[in-house]
Amino acid sequence: MPDQASHPVLQLKELTRVHGSGATEVHALRGINLDVFPGELVAVMGPSGSGKSTLLTIAGGLDTPTSGQVIVENTDLTTAGRKQIAALRRRSIGYVFQDYNLIPALTAAENVALPRELDGTSARKARAEAVAALREMDLDQLADRFPDEMSGGQQQRVAIARALVGDRRLVLADEPTGALDSETGESVLALLRSRCDAGAAGVLVTHEPRFAAWADRVVFLRDGAVVDQTIRSDAASLLTGQAAER
Amino acid sequence: MKNWYHSWRAAIRIARRDAWRFKGRSFLVLAMLALPIVGVSGADLTQRSSELSPAQQLDRDLGKADAAIHDPGLGGAALMQNPKGDNYQPAKEYGDSEPWPEGKTDITAALPAGAKYLVDTTGMAKLKTAHGLRNTSVRELKAADPMAEGIMVLDRGRFPRKPGEVAATNAFLESSGLYVGSKLTARGLDTTYRIVGAYELPDDLKEAQVNALPGALLAPLDKVLAAAELPGTDASDSYLATVPGGAGFTWNMVEETNTKGVTVTSRAVTLNPPPDSEVALYQKDGWSSHGDNSSGNATELAILSTVVGLVMLEICLLAGPAFAVGARRSRRQLGLVGANGGDRHHIRAIVLSGGLVIGVVAAVVGTALGIALTFAFRPVLEGVLGQRFGSFDVRPLELLGIALLAVVTGLLAAIVPAVTASRQTVVASLTGRRGIRKANRVLPIVGLTAVVLGAGIALYGSAVSDKAIIVGGGSALAELGVVALTPTLVGLFGRIGRWLPLSPRLALRDAVRNRGRTAPAVAAVLAAVAGTVAVATYSASSDAQSEARYEPRLPHGAVAILSPESAVDVPSMRDDTQKLLPTDVRADVDRVVVGKKSCSAYGGGDDCGRYEIVRPKAYECPLWMYDASGEDPAEKYSKAERRELSKDWRCLQNDYGIGSEGGEILIGDDRLLKVLKIDDPGASEALANGRAVSFVKQNIVPDGADKGAGKGGATTAATTAANSVAAPQDGANGTIGVRLISAEDVDEADAAGMKGEEPPGTVKSIPAHQVAGGQNAYGVTMIVPPKAAEKAGFTTVPLGSFFSTERQPSDAQEQRLNGELAKTGSDSTLTIEKGFTPENSGTLLALAVFAGLVTIGAAGIATGLAQADAEPDLKTLAAVGAPTRVRKALSGFQCGVVAAMGVVLGSASGILPAIGLRFTERRAEEAMYAEALDEGWGAWQDVTAPFVPVVIPWATLGMLLVVVPLGAALLAALVTRSRGALARRAVI
Repeated sequence: MPDQASHPVLQLKELTRVHGSGATEVHALRGINLDVFPGELVAVMGPSGSGKSTLLTIAGGLDTPTSGQVIVENTDLTTAGRKQIAALRRRSIGYVFQDYNLIPALTAAENVALPRELDGTSARKARAEAVAALREMDLDQLADRFPDEMSGGQQQRVAIARALVGDRRLVLADEPTGALDSETGESVLALLRSRCDAGAAGVLVTHEPRFAAWADRVVFLRDGAVVDQTIRSDAASLLTGQAAER
Repeated sequence: MKNWYHSWRAAIRIARRDAWRFKGRSFLVLAMLALPIVGVSGADLTQRSSELSPAQQLDRDLGKADAAIHDPGLGGAALMQNPKGDNYQPAKEYGDSEPWPEGKTDITAALPAGAKYLVDTTGMAKLKTAHGLRNTSVRELKAADPMAEGIMVLDRGRFPRKPGEVAATNAFLESSGLYVGSKLTARGLDTTYRIVGAYELPDDLKEAQVNALPGALLAPLDKVLAAAELPGTDASDSYLATVPGGAGFTWNMVEETNTKGVTVTSRAVTLNPPPDSEVALYQKDGWSSHGDNSSGNATELAILSTVVGLVMLEICLLAGPAFAVGARRSRRQLGLVGANGGDRHHIRAIVLSGGLVIGVVAAVVGTALGIALTFAFRPVLEGVLGQRFGSFDVRPLELLGIALLAVVTGLLAAIVPAVTASRQTVVASLTGRRGIRKANRVLPIVGLTAVVLGAGIALYGSAVSDKAIIVGGGSALAELGVVALTPTLVGLFGRIGRWLPLSPRLALRDAVRNRGRTAPAVAAVLAAVAGTVAVATYSASSDAQSEARYEPRLPHGAVAILSPESAVDVPSMRDDTQKLLPTDVRADVDRVVVGKKSCSAYGGGDDCGRYEIVRPKAYECPLWMYDASGEDPAEKYSKAERRELSKDWRCLQNDYGIGSEGGEILIGDDRLLKVLKIDDPGASEALANGRAVSFVKQNIVPDGADKGAGKGGATTAATTAANSVAAPQDGANGTIGVRLISAEDVDEADAAGMKGEEPPGTVKSIPAHQVAGGQNAYGVTMIVPPKAAEKAGFTTVPLGSFFSTERQPSDAQEQRLNGELAKTGSDSTLTIEKGFTPENSGTLLALAVFAGLVTIGAAGIATGLAQADAEPDLKTLAAVGAPTRVRKALSGFQCGVVAAMGVVLGSASGILPAIGLRFTERRAEEAMYAEALDEGWGAWQDVTAPFVPVVIPWATLGMLLVVVPLGAALLAALVTRSRGALARRAVI
C-alpha cells in the first residue's frame, strides 16, 4: 500500500512542456501536478498525443520541462546538471520501455548490473547485486542468457529487475506490455505490482484499462492536462473480467 | 569501491560483444588497421635482422682469423690507419707536388712473429659459361681451412682440395648455366677446372664468384693474358692471419704492422677500439673518428614519420565512417545506456571502446602476422636483400610501439563518431528520430585559420625562402585545414542542388544534411587525391624539366658500340651489331694507345702511357689555368670578370655525348661525319686529304696565327683575361699538337701539370680542319683519318663503331644484341639514342590508381551509410510512385557526389603545394646559377639558365576528376539492388 505519510519519491509541480514556437507551438503538458509515494503504482492513461510519454520522459530527466518542477527523491531535476541527472538515473530512477529494453551485447545479469557498473561499482560486486535482484524475482535462471535467447516477457521482467537494482525506488514504465500477449503482459504487471508492494514507487503509462487496474491510482490526461484521477477502488469499477476479481 | 575504470570495463564489454556480433564490419576495419602493422612490423624485423653486430660482420669478413692484412700499394712506406683499417695515409707528410709512394709490399714480411696465415687473392677473369663468356670475380682462398670458416658458406659439394678444382657461388651457377660437376675454364687458358661445390657469401648472395686454391687460376691466367697482350686479372692479395697468445691482433701489433706499409682489419681492435688519443691518424688535420652522417637518418626518419602519419590519417578517415555506422546502428542501445544513467562520457567510452577493441586485436593480429610472415619468408627476404640475416632479431619494444599505432589509429578513427553519438539526446536515440545536428561552428574557424596560416607559410616559402621544407610544412597545415573545412565546403556544394534533377538533387541534399557521415568520406578522398595530384604535378614538372635539359648522346636513332677497355672483342661486336640492328651507315673507329696495345683508353696500368692535346696557352680558359703557386686561378678575378669569362669562347665546354668514350682522338673517316650528321663539306674533304677534323676551337692553331701561342710562352693568364683572344675561324685550317707521354714519364707529367709547367713527351703536329660552328659533335673532340694517324706514328687499336639506322631499333632487337654481347664477356657499352624517356610515367599511373581506389572505397562506405539512413525516404518515394530505378540512381549519385566533392577539393589542394615547391626549386636553382656565374664555375657546369617549369598533369587530373567519380557512381548503382526489402548496407 502507498506510504502517504512519508515523503513522495516523485513530485511534479505545475509542469508544462511546449514543443516548438510560434505557429508550430504545441502544448504537450499543461500545469501537471502529481506526487508518487513509496509503495504506490500510478497508471497514466489517455489518448494518443495526450502527453503520457512526455510526462514520463520529463519525470526521468530525459527531457526538460518548459516550466514547473520535477523533484525526484528531493533533487530538483530542473536545476540539476546533466551529470547529476545521469547519476540520478543510475541510482534512483529505473526505466522500462515497450520493447527492446535490453542491450543485445550483454547477458541478463550484465544488463541488470549495467547501472551499477556505470556508477563505478566493480564488475564482481555489480554482478552479485544483479544476480540477487534476479533471484528475488525468480529470474536467476536467466542470468547468463543474452536478450536474443529470451522471450519478450522474460526480457521485460529482466528490464524491471534492472530498473530496480541497487537502491532505486522509482520505476517509470512506458507501455511495458505493449509488445506482449495479454497473458505475458499480466505476469509482467504482476511483477511490477509486487515490486511496488515491496516499497518502490511506479509510474505506468498504458492505454489498456485492465493493466491500469493493477495501479493504486489512475491519472487521465487529455491535451496535456489531468482531466481525472481515480483511486484504486474506483479504478476497479472500470475493470472487467478476471482483472476485476483481483 | 567506485572507480572510473569500472564503467570503462562495461563499455569495453559492450564494444567487444558488438564487434563480434557485426563480424563483417569489424573485419573490414580490422583489416584496414592491421595491414599497415603487418607491413611495418615485418619491415622492422627484416631491417633489424639484417643489421649485423660488429662481431657478426667480422665473422663474415675474417672467418675465424684474428685479422685481415691488406697491401694499400704504398711500396712498403710506413703508414697510419684508423682502428677499422679502412682509412690510412702515409706516416710521412708529402707535399702537393710530391707524389705518394707506390708499389707492392710483401705482406708476409710484415706479419708478427709466429702468425699463421692464409693468402686471399681476388681478381677478375672471363670464364666460359654455358651461354658464352662471363666476367667473374675469382677468389683464391683455402676456404676449407678452419681459419676461413664463415666467410663462404658451403651449400653442397665441397671446397676445392686440388689445383684442378673450383667451387662457385649459387649466383654464379644460376647465371652461368653450370652445375656442380661441370667443367669450367677461362678464356685463353688451356687448363680446365671441375666445379666440386656450391657456396654462398652470407653478405652478398647475389655475388657471382668462383673459389679456387691459391695460385691455381689467376696466376696461370695472368701469364697467358700477358703473353697475348691482353688486360690481366687485376689480382690483389690480402692475408688472413691468426696470432699466438689469445689476445688477438692488438692495437700495438696493428701499429707495428703499419710501419711495414700494410693495413690491418683486426677483430680485437674493431670490437674494442683504442681511444682516439692513441690513434695517430686522428691527430692529423682533417681526420676524426666521427665520420657518420646522421642527417641522412634524420631525413629518412622524417620521411618515414610523414608516410606513417599520412597512412594513419587516411585510415582514420576511412575507418571513421565504419565506426559512425556502428554507432548509428546501435543508437537505440546507446539510448538505453543513457536511460539507465549513462552519461555522455559513458556513451563516448562505448563507441571509443569499439576503436580500442578492434585496434588492440589489429595490433595483436598485425604484429603476429608480421612476425610469422617474416619468419616464413625469411629465405625470400634474404634473397631480395642479397644477404643472410645475422639473427632473427625481434625487438619487443619497437614492435610494441608499432602495434600501438593500430590502437591509436583505432581510437582516433572512433573519436568523431563517439563525440557525435554522445551528443544525441537519449529521447532521440530511443525514438530513432532523425535529427539533423547543427554544424560545428568551431571547426570551420579552426580550418580557415589553418588554411590561411598554412598557405601564408607556403607562400612565404615559395616566394622568399628556398627551403622546400617550409613549403611542405605550410602545405601540410593548409591541407589539414581544408580537411577541417570539409563539412562547411560540403555545405557550399549543396547550393548547386536546386538546378539538378531529382536523384542527384536528393543525393546532394542528403549528403549536405548528413555532413557527419559525408565529411569524413570526402576528407578521405581529399587527402588521397591531394597527395596524388601534388606528386603527379611535381613529377610531371620534373619530367618536363628533364626533357628540356636532355642532351642526346648521339643523333636520334643512331647507335654506338664501343669497347674502350679492351680491343679483343671489337670485331665480333661490330659484326653482331650490324647483323642484329637495322643499321644503315657503319663507321668503324679506332683509338690511340701509348704503350702496349692492351692499354685501356682510360689510362693507368703497367707499361701504359697516355696522350694529351696540346692546347695553346692563349686559348686556355684563364679560370682554369694553374701556375706554379697552385692557387685557384679563378680567385684572381672579380665576380664581374668571372661572369664575363664564363661566356668567353675559351671557357665554353665541349658538347656532351658518347663521342668522348674512347679518348680525345677518334681514328675514323667520312662515314663517322655522316653518322654524326656533321654538315660540313670541308670536313669530308679534309679527311679525304689526310687532315684531321677538329670540333673544339681551343685545340687548333690556325695557319698563320701567332706560333708563340702554340708553345704557350708569351701570353699570361692576367693579360688574356682582360684582352680576349680572337677565336679561330670556322672552317679554318691549322694544326693540332698531340703530346705522347710514355709510361715512364706519366708521373713526371702529372707533377708538371699541377705546377702549370711543360710536361715531358713527344709532340706530334697534325694538320687539321676546324669544323663549321654550331654543330653538335656529341662529345667528339677530333677525328683523325687513318692515314694521318699512321703518318704521325700513332699506335691504334679498334675501339668500336658508330651506326646510323634505317629505323629506331626495337627493345627486342636491343635485348637480343645485349644477350649476344654478354656471351663474349666483353666490357662494351651499347648506346642507342632513343630521345628523352620520362622517368615518372609509371609512378603517375600507380598514384592515380591508388587515389582512384581510395576514392571508390571511401565513397562506397559513405554510400552504404547513406543508403541505410535513406531507407525511410526511399519507402516514401516508392509510396508516391517513384520507379524502382530511382533507388539505384540515388545510390549512384550519392557515391558520385562524395567522390566528386573529394576529387575537386583534393585536386585544388594538391596542385598548389606542388606549384609552391616548384617555385622554391626555381629560386634555389637561380641562386645556384648566379653563384656559379659569380665563382666562374658556370663555364664548366651547365651554363644554361635554369629552366624549372610547372606542368599540370592533365591526363592524371582528367582521370581523377571525371573517370573516377563516374566509375564510383556506376559501380554503386550497379551493386545496389533495386528492391527496397533487400536494401541492406552493402559496403559495411
